[in-house]
Amino acid sequence: MAVATTSLSPTHRARSSQHLSRSVERRRTRAGLLFVSPWVIGFLAFFAYPFFATIYYSFTNFNGVGAAHLAGFTNYVNLFHDPLFRTSLFNTFYYTAIELPLSTVAALGLALLLNMNVRGRAIYRTIFYIPSIVPLVASCMIFVWIFNPEFGIVNDLLTDAHLPGPGWFFSIAWSKPSFILLGLWGLGQPMVIYLAGLQGVPREMYEVGALDGAGPWQRLRFITIPMISPVILFNVILQLVNCIAYFTQAQVIEGADIGGPGTSTWFYVQYLYEQAFDFLKFGYSSAMAFFLFVISAVIMVVLFKSSSKWVYYASEQP
Amino acid sequence: MNNRGGTATNALEPPGEIRPRRRRVGKVTTAIATAAVISGTSLGTSGVASASTVHLTWWTMWSGATLQLLNQMTAQFNKTHPGIVVTETNIPSDATTSTAKLLSAIAAGDPPDIFTEWWPEIGSFAADGDLISMNQFLTGAYAGFEKWEYPVAVQGGSYKGNLYAVPMGLNSWALYYNKGYLAKYGITSPPKTLAQLDADQAKMWVIQNGKVVQLGFYPDLNGNGFQFYTTFFNATNCFNSAGKYDFENCAGAKAEMNWIASFDKYPYTQVMALQTALGFVAGGQTDVWVNGKAGFVLSGPWEGTQNVPTSNPSLVGDFGVEAFPGTVPIPSTLGQGNFNIIPKGSAHPQQAFEFISWLAGYQNEAFMGKIDPLGGWVPGGPSVTKQPAYQAWLKTNPWLSGFLPEMTSPYTQAPALTPTQAELFTAENTATNDVLQKIMTPAQALKYIDQQANASS
Repeated sequence: MAVATTSLSPTHRARSSQHLSRSVERRRTRAGLLFVSPWVIGFLAFFAYPFFATIYYSFTNFNGVGAAHLAGFTNYVNLFHDPLFRTSLFNTFYYTAIELPLSTVAALGLALLLNMNVRGRAIYRTIFYIPSIVPLVASCMIFVWIFNPEFGIVNDLLTDAHLPGPGWFFSIAWSKPSFILLGLWGLGQPMVIYLAGLQGVPREMYEVGALDGAGPWQRLRFITIPMISPVILFNVILQLVNCIAYFTQAQVIEGADIGGPGTSTWFYVQYLYEQAFDFLKFGYSSAMAFFLFVISAVIMVVLFKSSSKWVYYASEQP
Repeated sequence: MNNRGGTATNALEPPGEIRPRRRRVGKVTTAIATAAVISGTSLGTSGVASASTVHLTWWTMWSGATLQLLNQMTAQFNKTHPGIVVTETNIPSDATTSTAKLLSAIAAGDPPDIFTEWWPEIGSFAADGDLISMNQFLTGAYAGFEKWEYPVAVQGGSYKGNLYAVPMGLNSWALYYNKGYLAKYGITSPPKTLAQLDADQAKMWVIQNGKVVQLGFYPDLNGNGFQFYTTFFNATNCFNSAGKYDFENCAGAKAEMNWIASFDKYPYTQVMALQTALGFVAGGQTDVWVNGKAGFVLSGPWEGTQNVPTSNPSLVGDFGVEAFPGTVPIPSTLGQGNFNIIPKGSAHPQQAFEFISWLAGYQNEAFMGKIDPLGGWVPGGPSVTKQPAYQAWLKTNPWLSGFLPEMTSPYTQAPALTPTQAELFTAENTATNDVLQKIMTPAQALKYIDQQANASS
């Protein structure tokens, strides 16, 4: 064997070496593909296929079972003639437009407070985090009680203060604000992420800022916020997705009066769900789902494009 | 008594489909038998017996006391029908989710043999060809089945001349009244007309500091929307000549919606808040009336048999039941209930029908005569009510007898099954709430119902 090898010309040896390296490369590629295959299979089965199937079904009058018959753009045309579709879209944007900035500011403010060096800091952090680990349905039921216009503690306190108690979830004017308040109840998660971001801001930067005469507001404005801006972007994206896909809380709280009072709390995904599973209009609900995807994609593109103007990545600096 | 057996089963399984597989099946059987001998195991007698036993799967959506009753019923059927074994599976979720599960199962080709469905979806399932028509089984011992049922049960389970659903228990609705309230407000007898009901209930409202402390009657109590009062106004099935829903031009529907609108003088928000506080929305067995906070409520037998003793025993013996008044002669009621259906793809539809008819009480009157009182149910057919156990129940609770004459009343109606009944039901609820809050006028509400219910019919 060794004799045979030594008898090979340099060209042959080079070819043999090339062949060997290709063989190793192929083996490595196979191994790599094998390792990533669970994810790839999961992606294809649970994301890519449903995604393209949804697009396909949006052009059909599919009822969930049996054959789907092509219906052209009928579902999309019907969307824009459906008053409840417009209402649910408006309600979802209303909720998002208020809840998103409010929860961002509140969570960040809370994180800043809990980042201060005060006695019992760990206890405060735990107290503010606990609501976010309470099961969502339980939180909803608690809120229905707390904000019950007849027997709730909030209206009792308002009455003691000689203030009129609103109808909260049972009033058209107050139902959406009530859901926004419920959203603020689960601030623990973004708060913890902000806290982690705040811990990562180098102390020296504050020291330099203080030496330059920067006050607390200026330090927040010019040091803290730019330094944690990637964390803010991350949290905003998470919150945005939660707002656009708002469903569980409304479904639990509204009970038999779905979307009520009136149509004040019809949220987009709720309406989509009803079209699919109550009315068995899977084609129509697929059109709603794809429309929501397009809207979400546009918002995300705008958000990411704008992030180059307000998000600061230290690693990208020269 | 029972029309089952090899003939019927074989008729559903063409032999031509089985033969080509026989050789492969034989090899597999030999291999399994050899493996069993080598491993020292055997198939045993139960394995041999199961080959000729039909296994049925039954999906229901109840828990708690109702589930226990269903288990009793299943056990009794299995005991009395040696060739069939029913396995009851509880799907602990709301009607929408269980419907989604059923659809997934049908699409996957593995549906249950029997599914208990709340009726708004049945028309849609039937129209889409997702159900097996039971007409094919109405022969022999079952030829008289539809005549045995209450007419309203047949009406509520039929679509385009085909029987697709059979109730195992019907709902019957009547007016509950609190005797203590009547005495307190000097009312000598329960109301027999709509005008009397309106006048009597108006005396009972107590609103202090903007809070509803007690009320007389409110249409939306317990989620009873427009649909639940339609039979009292002859407005259950309002269609135009083209077969479209036409509540807007239906005299009964106009009268009903105007009557509902007459309650818009009461504070909707506070009534709903009171109702939520007392447990209705949370899924509890309590409601405003059971808690002694309302003079009247529209409800079914379960209110008096289950809810009152469980939640407010002090009310036992202090309430009565009357036929709900309306613009049509009393008594009448809305005939609906929990229907059993056979999904497309069921492996044993004939045995499934046998089980379904048994659950309704057909040729099983004595047993269901004992079970129906435990659930507070009106049976699928009148002969069950003549059973000694059922009669004893009625004698112990004389107020219950008010629910039975309604079932054979010519004014009693079931909503016609249509492909958009779920849309209709949702729209009727929304319209009721909106009228009570003055968001819509009665005319707008009826127009809205038509628009929603006709949207894709």
